[in-house]
Amino acid sequence: MENITSHKLGEQYYRLVHSSGLTVLLCPMPAYSTAYALFGTRYGSIDESFRTSPEEEYTTVPAGIAHFLEHKLFENEEGDAFSEYSKTGASANAYTSFDRTAYLFGCTDNFRQSLDILLHLVVNPYFTPASVEKEQGIIGQEITMYDDNPEWRVYFNLLSALYQNHPIRVDIAGTIDSISKIDADILYKCYYTFYNLRNMVLSIAGNFEIDQVLEALDQHLKPSEPVVIDRKPVDEPREVKVPRVEQNLQVAVPLFQVGFKGPAGSLQENMINQTIMEVLVEAIVGEATPLYRKLYDLGLINATFGDEVLAGDSYFTAIFAGESKDPDQLYKILLEGIEEFRQKGISEENFERAKRACYGRYIGMYGNVESVASIMMMSEFAGMGAYTILDVFLNISCQQVNALLQTHLDPKYSALSVVSAK
Amino acid sequence: MDTITQKTQGVLSKQALEQGIELYNLKDSKFKHNRISVHMVLPLDQATVTEYAILPFVMRKGYKGCEDFSKLNEMLDHLYGASLITEVGKFGANQVLIYSIQAIDERFTLDNERIIRRCTELLCDVVLNPDITDGAFPEQDVALEKQFLIDTITAEINDKRSYAINRCKLLMGEHNPAAIRKYGYVESAQKITPTSAAAAYADAIRKAHIKVLFIGSGDSSIAFEVIKERFAKLERQPVALNPIRYFAPPSTPQSFTDLMEVSQAKLVMGFRMPEASTPLELTVNKLMVVLYGGTPASKLFMNVREKLSLCYYCAARFDRLTGILLVDSGVELANIELAKEEILRQLEEIRQGIISEEELNSAKLMVKNSLRAVGDSLGSIEEWYLLQSFLGTANSPTQEFTLIDQVTAEMIAKAAQKVALDTVYLLSAKQD
Repeated sequence: MENITSHKLGEQYYRLVHSSGLTVLLCPMPAYSTAYALFGTRYGSIDESFRTSPEEEYTTVPAGIAHFLEHKLFENEEGDAFSEYSKTGASANAYTSFDRTAYLFGCTDNFRQSLDILLHLVVNPYFTPASVEKEQGIIGQEITMYDDNPEWRVYFNLLSALYQNHPIRVDIAGTIDSISKIDADILYKCYYTFYNLRNMVLSIAGNFEIDQVLEALDQHLKPSEPVVIDRKPVDEPREVKVPRVEQNLQVAVPLFQVGFKGPAGSLQENMINQTIMEVLVEAIVGEATPLYRKLYDLGLINATFGDEVLAGDSYFTAIFAGESKDPDQLYKILLEGIEEFRQKGISEENFERAKRACYGRYIGMYGNVESVASIMMMSEFAGMGAYTILDVFLNISCQQVNALLQTHLDPKYSALSVVSAK
Repeated sequence: MDTITQKTQGVLSKQALEQGIELYNLKDSKFKHNRISVHMVLPLDQATVTEYAILPFVMRKGYKGCEDFSKLNEMLDHLYGASLITEVGKFGANQVLIYSIQAIDERFTLDNERIIRRCTELLCDVVLNPDITDGAFPEQDVALEKQFLIDTITAEINDKRSYAINRCKLLMGEHNPAAIRKYGYVESAQKITPTSAAAAYADAIRKAHIKVLFIGSGDSSIAFEVIKERFAKLERQPVALNPIRYFAPPSTPQSFTDLMEVSQAKLVMGFRMPEASTPLELTVNKLMVVLYGGTPASKLFMNVREKLSLCYYCAARFDRLTGILLVDSGVELANIELAKEEILRQLEEIRQGIISEEELNSAKLMVKNSLRAVGDSLGSIEEWYLLQSFLGTANSPTQEFTLIDQVTAEMIAKAAQKVALDTVYLLSAKQD
């Protein structure tokens, strides 16, 4: 077992590769009451076309399978994992994102039993035509629910505007049509490809005993075959598909999202750039900046204004979002402001302020069990240790921030998405 | 860690100052941040709710000595990105004006910089030293925040699920101050002026019950030294708060439907429960709701969603400050009547005592799980102890365990028999 330490935080976690091939990350945090476990696979909605060696041809599957699998794994021949968790008191859930699917629980008691359930449900798939059909109904309703959701729509419309071919532009759950094409065979094919333990990570943080984890691993996990999963490269030009998209839904004030599409990049590069981008965005339009103040005083943004970075393997987008009475005017001023910085650069003084402003948040990432488990898992998927991002942040330079401003925040590769009432 | 510190870890302590000001402190060295918050509690009243609601937002813009919004934000940046959050909340039939600052603990600052005092002073300045000149807030601040408040009130419609829940609550409580929305009314917001807002501030600071909390790993004594000194200078006449009050259901349940452009209908069924006369009864009520629809192992989730696939979500929640039990679900338009029937059928099952030992144990375990987890975040600790202070108790989350262990299926069935349907609200699609 490897011990990975952060001198800055005075904390550590353990990393081991189990005999089954699974990478396991363990961060005991005994002062907390909760143990939080994440069992994740590097498989998400964008993995539509793939092959495993020695296959030569890529298999392309209908959109929404990763999410469908997420739903189905909770079901087994005896019943349903939620019923099992109900006997331990754990609070369980799962999520599918663009590039990963994770199954999780949080518990303050009965940790070993809850872990048994988690491991068992993920490594024992069970699909029948009847259960697939039932799930199509439930997921169909989930998709319909999100169709009405303005926040969801403004976001996915932005991705569709920015990306021409990349599967990130497709809704994570797929469409009613695409999920109607899913059957048990396709599910098994995807499952046995991506739910190979060598493609997965188990990440646990909080109040738990390491010995119990090791015992559970030996009990539930069988050795996995070495596998090389090859995802079909996407031909995605840097140019955006359309610079503006608008949808009408019943909202009081228009919602907007502005996205800046970055170069593709690997997962590790993009996670590091995400950190630099956060400082960059703070320098350009953080709450203490003249640009933020200008937008606020014009009534173009309010307390809902925020930013996020979407960073994955082969995609990177910086997003500004919120409500605005005039999204087009906001977009214009934002672009002008960014262009001005691109001409003049971020000053050392502004950079120092921005970095300091982000400091508390970066320390805070290691301040709760969910966040620690999550950052351990995501860093591992990127081939990094969990404290690397903190170290990257602490060592960020003004030069790095200015370089990223040129390469990743180019107005030429941006788009505006609006959701407004008719 | 020495014995004394060990004993006080995670334990709430309270000091009551004069004039309706209470100080609460909970130290827990595992946290990397400290959170200091001032809660001004006032009775909800149609006449004052909106003028009070704008105060946290206008006051967030600056104070006497730092009138510039950007400068204030720069100070927060310098405090390692401390977040100064001002908001409006609600507890039962009372409005809460919330001012809080959260910053990293001093052990993480560069060069051991002492920031607890600075954060507390800043918070006190925001709350006690607002930018009021000649009896008025700055005109531009009021104009902007007024519009944002109106936008916030009307933005409720964006999220159809919470819109439907709030509509149902409103329809259930027209004569109850607890039904007054925490941000107030658009018509009232439009009438706010810099002078009326300043008058509302003078009113609020004099009349509110004030609760100050320090939660985190740092030394609260520094913060409380500042708080006591600053707040002692106030002239105060706190008013009585609206007590917790439960209402009886109508003799016949009422039904309402709104039509909007939605793809999925939102069905909200509002029930009433009688007030619990003992702490055990209250615990029984809570467990009943959890068993009914509070978890993925609950009757509603397992039947309405899983077995019958009628909705993507179907959940029950209980507000102990109003006695309202709400079941809300996202339903396909074609399944509305079926969903209603099944929701009522599951309640009837509980009334008849069709509760397995497993279901009961599961509800108990889940509740205990979430109670233990309260201590793992600053936010949940704050929320818990604020609720306790409203109830006039100071129970820690795990103190409820002995009551939970006493609950039986018979008690739950009896509690369910007292649940009465009040209102059925449906947000459905316009039919072309």
